[in-house]
Amino acid sequence: MIELFDVTRRFGDETAVDRISLRVERGEFCVLVGTSGCGKSTTLRMINRLIEHSEGEIHLDGQPIRDFQEDQLRRRIGYAIQSTGLFPHWTVGRNIGLVPRLLQWSGSRIQERVEALMDLLGLPPEFAHKYPHQLSGGQAQRVGVARALAADPEILLMDEPFGALDPITRQTLQGELRDLQARLGKTIVFVTHDMDEALTLADRLVVMHEGRIVQQGRPTELLRAPANDFVASLLGGDDRGLKEAALIRVEERMLPVAPEAEGMPMVRRHATVNQALSLMLWHHTRHLLVVDEDDSPVGQLSLDVLMHKARHE
Amino acid sequence: MSEVAIQGSEGGNRRSRWRFIVPLIWLAALLMLAVGMTTLEPLFRLLEPDLRQVIYVRESFLVLLGQHVLMVAVAALLATCVGVGAAVAVTRAAGRDFMPMVAQLASIGQTFPPVAVLALAVPVLGFGTVPVIVALVLYGLLPIVRNTLAGLQGVSAEVLEAARGMGMTPRQVLLQVELPLAAPVILAGIRTSVTINVATAALGATVGASNLGDPIISGIVNGNTPYIIQGAVMIGLLALAVDSLFERLQPRVPGQASDGQAANG
Repeated sequence: MIELFDVTRRFGDETAVDRISLRVERGEFCVLVGTSGCGKSTTLRMINRLIEHSEGEIHLDGQPIRDFQEDQLRRRIGYAIQSTGLFPHWTVGRNIGLVPRLLQWSGSRIQERVEALMDLLGLPPEFAHKYPHQLSGGQAQRVGVARALAADPEILLMDEPFGALDPITRQTLQGELRDLQARLGKTIVFVTHDMDEALTLADRLVVMHEGRIVQQGRPTELLRAPANDFVASLLGGDDRGLKEAALIRVEERMLPVAPEAEGMPMVRRHATVNQALSLMLWHHTRHLLVVDEDDSPVGQLSLDVLMHKARHE
Repeated sequence: MSEVAIQGSEGGNRRSRWRFIVPLIWLAALLMLAVGMTTLEPLFRLLEPDLRQVIYVRESFLVLLGQHVLMVAVAALLATCVGVGAAVAVTRAAGRDFMPMVAQLASIGQTFPPVAVLALAVPVLGFGTVPVIVALVLYGLLPIVRNTLAGLQGVSAEVLEAARGMGMTPRQVLLQVELPLAAPVILAGIRTSVTINVATAALGATVGASNLGDPIISGIVNGNTPYIIQGAVMIGLLALAVDSLFERLQPRVPGQASDGQAANG
């Protein structure tokens, strides 16, 4: 659990972060969003003391982070950044094993851990001997995440880790990170300015502006009730309806298959409702046949039901 | 894991066992000349038929070579310790204020002619080897300081941020990340410094340090061209041998190197 109490950070006369309070529960995926310069990265880096806070207190599981030695604190917290920061003169295997080695694990235990993590992140074992410059952007970022997870930290800090990737790789990695977090139960604080990424990943969305927290809550709460115009426009303005639809799976809204559904345009059950809406627009239809991975029908989706549901939420 | 690491790092540097062939050839030529200079007497006779003596014999060339190498090596070692140490110190948070001063001092060290350093050092340190080494250290400092600064400043900010963020201590960051990544540039500086000083050391003969400069000075004083040639050729060969040795030792950082493929090995 991470708690920030009235935390302020000043650089000279400038206040980068202004009396923010925040509580991230154990196992929660917290995403900090905002325009550039809003203080989200500074906030993140104060948690592992790469930047010291000027005022206020930051607690880790109830203990002020200043009680820990900096190096010791950071070894307990995974850290992944946009540029990956992989050491170019070390192999992938050695990069991933960095923190365990700092913690003086035995060689065989480190080796095992590295292999397990590479497996977890879908990196082929022979990659252990490659150097970072031989990897693609997506692979390098997987290595970066593996390195952050190496010593099995409870907390993971991620600063726009997927910001430099192409959209397809980014989406894949977002999905994998989400699954990973569901499986491992890590507490994650994630900084991004990509609103779709924030909405997909977040349990708790924290909107920052000019060094302050403007609003925080579940993504749907913020979409439905933005605190002010800034939050509303940041979340997509008039696109908010579609952004919200992107958070809902088709299978959550489908009805049992009716006989007349035969021959309707198809949509996958794991697709999102905004994709279904797009298909309806495309095919000029109010009804879609919902199918599973093998294209066998599992239900149907109708625009009227979507509208009805939406009105009653 | 250690296995992975070792294989990896060696794989990056491993090259054919013939890599030292060029420096070895220069070195063999140098030693052969040092031992067998007298056999070349007829050759030098052709050049100066009237001189009583055409081969420098006051001291064996092997001894002169040894002393020359020793002087340059001691000076290089001191200059490297001082130069790298100073550059590391001024790139730490605590020493950053001294960066311009150190960079300037090192530049002044090189703009000062080595002869002048010798002239100034002799009254204080006396004749002999010590003032020569002082002059060589001062003269050789600049390339080392400048390259070490450049090498350390060239380490990407993201890598340093990641290193700190992972929980490395400042010492670990320096020894495991900064210096290894800066090593090629630092070594290039040491190479320049040593190569310059192989030639500069010859001036030591003017203040009584005995080395390969002796035949040259003696040749100038006595109008004996063969002496000058013998000293100069030896110094030239030594410089070539040292320079090509450094070239072979040049470490390569994977990805920044011309031979990035070696990393697969």
